Amino acid sequence: MSELTLLVLRLGFLILMWAFVFMIVYALRSDLFGNRARKKMPEPATAEAYPSSPVPPPPAPPVAVLPEPHRAAPHAGAGTPRRLVITSGPKEGLEVELPLEQLTIGRSSESGLVIRDDYTSTHHARLMLWNEEWVIQDLDSTNGTFLDGTRVTLPTPVRPGSTVTIGTTSFELRR
Amino acid sequence: MSNSPTEAIGTPEASPRPSAPTTLTSTIRIRLREPARMRNLELGLLLVALGLGAAAVALVQLGAVGELDGSIFVLSAVPAFLVLLLHVIERVVAKEADPIVVPIATFLNGLGIAMIHRLDIAEGYTGWDAFAVRQIVWTVIAIVLAIAGLLIVRNHRVLQRYRYIAMFVGIVLLLLPVLPGIGETDANADVWIRVGIFSFQPGELAKIALAIFFAGYLVTARDSLSLVGRTILGMRFPRARDLGPILVVWVLSMGVIVLQRDLGTALLYFGLFLVMLYVATGRASWILIGLSLFAAGAWLASSLLPYVADRFHNWLDAFNPEVYNRLGGSYQLVQGIFGLADGGLVGTGLGRGRPDIVPLAESDYIIASLGEELGLIGLFAILALYLVFVARGFRIGVAGQDDFGRLLAVGLSFVVGLQVFIVIGGVTRLIPLTGLTTPFLAAGGSSLVANWIIVGLLLRLSDSVRRQRHVVVEGSPA
Repeated sequence: MSELTLLVLRLGFLILMWAFVFMIVYALRSDLFGNRARKKMPEPATAEAYPSSPVPPPPAPPVAVLPEPHRAAPHAGAGTPRRLVITSGPKEGLEVELPLEQLTIGRSSESGLVIRDDYTSTHHARLMLWNEEWVIQDLDSTNGTFLDGTRVTLPTPVRPGSTVTIGTTSFELRR
Repeated sequence: MSNSPTEAIGTPEASPRPSAPTTLTSTIRIRLREPARMRNLELGLLLVALGLGAAAVALVQLGAVGELDGSIFVLSAVPAFLVLLLHVIERVVAKEADPIVVPIATFLNGLGIAMIHRLDIAEGYTGWDAFAVRQIVWTVIAIVLAIAGLLIVRNHRVLQRYRYIAMFVGIVLLLLPVLPGIGETDANADVWIRVGIFSFQPGELAKIALAIFFAGYLVTARDSLSLVGRTILGMRFPRARDLGPILVVWVLSMGVIVLQRDLGTALLYFGLFLVMLYVATGRASWILIGLSLFAAGAWLASSLLPYVADRFHNWLDAFNPEVYNRLGGSYQLVQGIFGLADGGLVGTGLGRGRPDIVPLAESDYIIASLGEELGLIGLFAILALYLVFVARGFRIGVAGQDDFGRLLAVGLSFVVGLQVFIVIGGVTRLIPLTGLTTPFLAAGGSSLVANWIIVGLLLRLSDSVRRQRHVVVEGSPA
């Protein structure tokens, strides 16, 4: 094996090592720069279908979550709300089943409830289950989280029927 | 707690019938990931990583011997097969797991085997005496344990229930080496146990147990640790009575320094606790308190314990001939630096340097050996891969929905990063040298096993993070 071949091979190995590093970085580009911008669908005026009554009468309320195999929450009592209903805003009438422990709300695509409007912060607020009670906590959001019209500063319990407002979206918790 | 992580929702994105009158379901926009996109990416990177490992072994043989010897390739085929098996198992039980961590671990492990094989050639070790053969066997065990971890821990929240058992296990593992009978004292530190022909460093496994305990404990204690206290100079300091936990961990790591004479392990555990405390509470004052505590402890140790004082002396005055020639002096450190200098920018080439001059070149000093033969350029590629590995763990932590999982992911990946810092910082004379293993690279079964288990846990955590459901509310166009 000549010295020249070895030199070429060893430089080639260094180049391949860096190629591996750049392959990984390239694979991660979507994590670094965010997901591809999806085309915005023309927003149909769904809000008109259900006027701003607090209880929208959808014939079959859309439940955004498929039933899970184990749904019995261990620390959710009988009186604990299990659903979140959006009462005003672009997705009025949408019903979401609450997760077991906490639900993060924000503009980030990793939030449990993603709200993309101009008023929502990336990590805006979160709902947590404390002692069989859902508690809303504002995560230092710019425009604030409102519970029945008052701004939330400390983690505050959300009773069923109280309205939580984030940006242009309001929701309440139901059993 | 015992419930499975939340499931992804299978509703197609946007409306399947764009022309049809919009139904409410079509306004629920749920992201559906392409099936197994993550896994296909992982398979591609994995094949590249395995190819690079094989190329490294081939280059070592061509450079050092001048001809190829097939036996080590045949042996390495077993861990390569197991890594691919791990990949297939992920396709079944953790489809959305992070695609980056396994290829990085595989590449580093393979490069480590190549370098250990190179040192075996220089020292003339063959057969079962060869460190590389033993490293391959340990790799097999480690990957099997990572697979087992992935299969057994189907929901990481279960680990939260075992936090006190984890604490107990962690402390027992830490204490094992000082027990008479199985403890083994080597020249430097008292961190080994010997059972039969196997020697093992239980402290490596203790870091996983302690990360689980810290995460479980901090989830429950974070509020009292973060919310109360008085503000001094714009920083909120905790109450005196909340200092208890940090003092306990401090005493524990000081005990490691005194009983086991191991500065690096102590720094590793204390740093792990400090960072997890900071992540859990978001109070920078904890870092300040912790660092002052550790600095005070290290200063005390260096003035009271002769071995710590020697370490400091070797570090600050390494090139003094007196220190260099002393027994337990800076000979190893300086030889490592000479090796790095000899490597220069592009290195001497695999198999073409003299990394075997440095004592313990295959374990504590593997970074100096790699730096000599791959040069600064190669060393930086290795560091970049560690950086991405740790960043992946942090990313998993950021995206997590449950506090325990978030803290655990940050803790597990940070402990790998901190260990890399302590080892490479020691070898390059940035901080006093302490004997820790370089994750995945260095010869040593306990380190491989522990780090592959960390890989398994990170896979599980990232899978449950990505499987959580999303409901997207798009704002109305203004």
